[in-house]
Amino acid sequence: MLYKKSTYKSITILLIVLLCVSFFVNIGLGSVSISLKEIFLTIIGHQENYIIQHYRLPKAFTAVLAGSGLGISGLLMQTLFRNPLAGPFVLGISSGASLGVAIVILGSSLMGGFLATVFISKWSIVIAASLGSFIVLLAVMIVAAKIRDTMAILIIGLMFGSITAALVSVLSYFSSAELIQQYVFWGFGNLGNLTWYEVVIFFSIYAVGIVLSMMSMKNLNTLLLGENYAKSLGLNVKKSRFIIIIATCLLAGSVTAFAGPIAFIGLAVPHIARQIFNTSNHKILLPSVFIIGSIVMLICDSISQLPSSDYTLPINAITSLFGAPVVIWLLLRKRKMVF
Amino acid sequence: MFNLTVKTLNNIIFEKTITLKFSTLFLLSLLLFSCIENNKSDTIFDSTNVKSAENSYATGFSLNNYDGWDVLEIYSPWPNSQKNYHYLIKHKFDTINKLLPVFDYDGIIEIPVEKIIVTSTTHIPALELLGTENTLIGFPGTQYVSSEKTRLRIDNGEVRELGNNETINTEIVLDLKPDILVGYGIGNQNKALETINNSGTSVLYNGDWVEASPLGKAEWIKFFGILYDKKKEADSIFDIIETNYMAAKTLAQNVKKRPKVLCGAMHNNVWYLPQGTSPEAQILKDANVNYLWGDTKGKGSLALNFESIFEKAQNASLWFSPSYYNSYEELMLASTHYSQFNAFKNKSIYSFANTKGATGGVLYYELGTARPDLVLKDIIKISHPTLLQEYNTYFFKPLQ
Repeated sequence: MLYKKSTYKSITILLIVLLCVSFFVNIGLGSVSISLKEIFLTIIGHQENYIIQHYRLPKAFTAVLAGSGLGISGLLMQTLFRNPLAGPFVLGISSGASLGVAIVILGSSLMGGFLATVFISKWSIVIAASLGSFIVLLAVMIVAAKIRDTMAILIIGLMFGSITAALVSVLSYFSSAELIQQYVFWGFGNLGNLTWYEVVIFFSIYAVGIVLSMMSMKNLNTLLLGENYAKSLGLNVKKSRFIIIIATCLLAGSVTAFAGPIAFIGLAVPHIARQIFNTSNHKILLPSVFIIGSIVMLICDSISQLPSSDYTLPINAITSLFGAPVVIWLLLRKRKMVF
Repeated sequence: MFNLTVKTLNNIIFEKTITLKFSTLFLLSLLLFSCIENNKSDTIFDSTNVKSAENSYATGFSLNNYDGWDVLEIYSPWPNSQKNYHYLIKHKFDTINKLLPVFDYDGIIEIPVEKIIVTSTTHIPALELLGTENTLIGFPGTQYVSSEKTRLRIDNGEVRELGNNETINTEIVLDLKPDILVGYGIGNQNKALETINNSGTSVLYNGDWVEASPLGKAEWIKFFGILYDKKKEADSIFDIIETNYMAAKTLAQNVKKRPKVLCGAMHNNVWYLPQGTSPEAQILKDANVNYLWGDTKGKGSLALNFESIFEKAQNASLWFSPSYYNSYEELMLASTHYSQFNAFKNKSIYSFANTKGATGGVLYYELGTARPDLVLKDIIKISHPTLLQEYNTYFFKPLQ
């Protein structure tokens, strides 16, 4: 049974409040305890605090961008492939990015010791990850133009994943322990190493992806009926498939480039949204995935900081540890999956 | 300084876990470790008539005499190892055909060793100090060797390349037929080394990197002294190193002003730095500096959040070994947060990463273990500029 309009509204308002709360909780919690007053004064600009201004705030914004970006790209993929197991990385975006990063980090030793550390700057990693996912995207697009069956694209994406994983293991065999260590650390995911400047660049790529996915909302609803039916309704399946794939690549690709391959969020958040709102209408799902994705990411980041301890856990471990039980619980409670 | 983490990670990688399943792996390894049981009893070694040659610092090995037989015992070839290794030492020119004692030893070593394979760069200085570098016939990762003497032998093709320590090229090793292979394990037996051991070549595990103190690590030269039947030479070399170390330590204790010191750098927002009782931190303590995490306890490295490091060490006046970074520019490129530290602003960062051999091996990783006296003097010279004015730092250089 679908909810009434007023129910959607009240749930949405509740979620927005929750988003604001988790945003401020995220800023307020960390290894160093900073008083609420000091945080407030810093945010309104009356006081200088390096940790708040240049560490926690950019980190919180990155968490919002990453959480919502991954959630939305996951939703797009699940609808496009009509498969509840799809996620933002099924097209091989993260494998493409991993290969790019692996070539920069692990391959740098082949370019000679002097160049090695020059190459492994933050920007070269971002550029390599973007290039890597872009090349995979290009390959997927070429395939998509030739193939009618959307499922074939899914399998081809998985194949790209296997190829890149194989190349990465060959590269790591010939690399020194320090370089492998760096590559592994990249794979843990990282929200907190971005400057404001980088957050702005991240946001601009991300914004294009969001606009494209908002443009596709109606088409996504039509696609839910099946490709043949969508065609008979006058939908240009190839064109809308193209836009959806580009939007996913921009969203998931930019997140992977700036924050590393963050697992799980993209798969789980659309399910959480469907269970909460009990609908598969994208006009409702898209904004709710945006909000829920941000909330989940902010909470996961707050947990991974292990507030008031000196330690931090890798964000990738927390998203799965925390997120998987939530999805299981939601499915058990409803006994039926909304898809 | 992060030898331990690097080695452990290396091991993790080669078990095919690049795919981020870190947590699963961690749980698995916990399970594995708890399943390993020590079945082998060491009863014979508890017997009477034991004479030990005591080490002053090293706790990982000892030479004991059981009923007239020399036995080299290795206690902790890797952290938390369950098994002790016993090697019977037999002199090659021993004319008396004594009956070999019947007990459970892991191998017989005929000394002096004439053909050796070592697997860690930290073993190279010991060979050279004992004047036995000509016995080295193979090494995994020869490009990491910096010492000129051994480099020359590698370039002349006298030392074979054996690949990687974790996946050492077994065929070449068997072909070379060394008298012994000195390996190291990381957390458990190395499978490739097991195969070699079963083929008849004695594999000895060297645990210099597990030792808890800098002088303990250096004392492993006595281990090589035993293998080459040069115990006396090894003893006197170590005595000189120890005397130098103690003299430098005494010199530093008289200084009143102790600069605040920060170490390490971030990987992925997590700052890695040595724990307060690690060998690295002991050197800092002996150099009489105020290492800001000197009161923590533990052997390995701390992994701390950026925030807590920043709060504590923002005003530190010195910063040692920021990971592999060679220059201030590289630090900036990696993270702009680094530039907020006073040590960065005042250009007071020192690293051993710039002191490299001809083929790019970091000298500190090779010689630093064998010569803690030089490491200590480096730190003293940098931290207390009034001391050791004639001395030029050996490993630590200012960041470019």
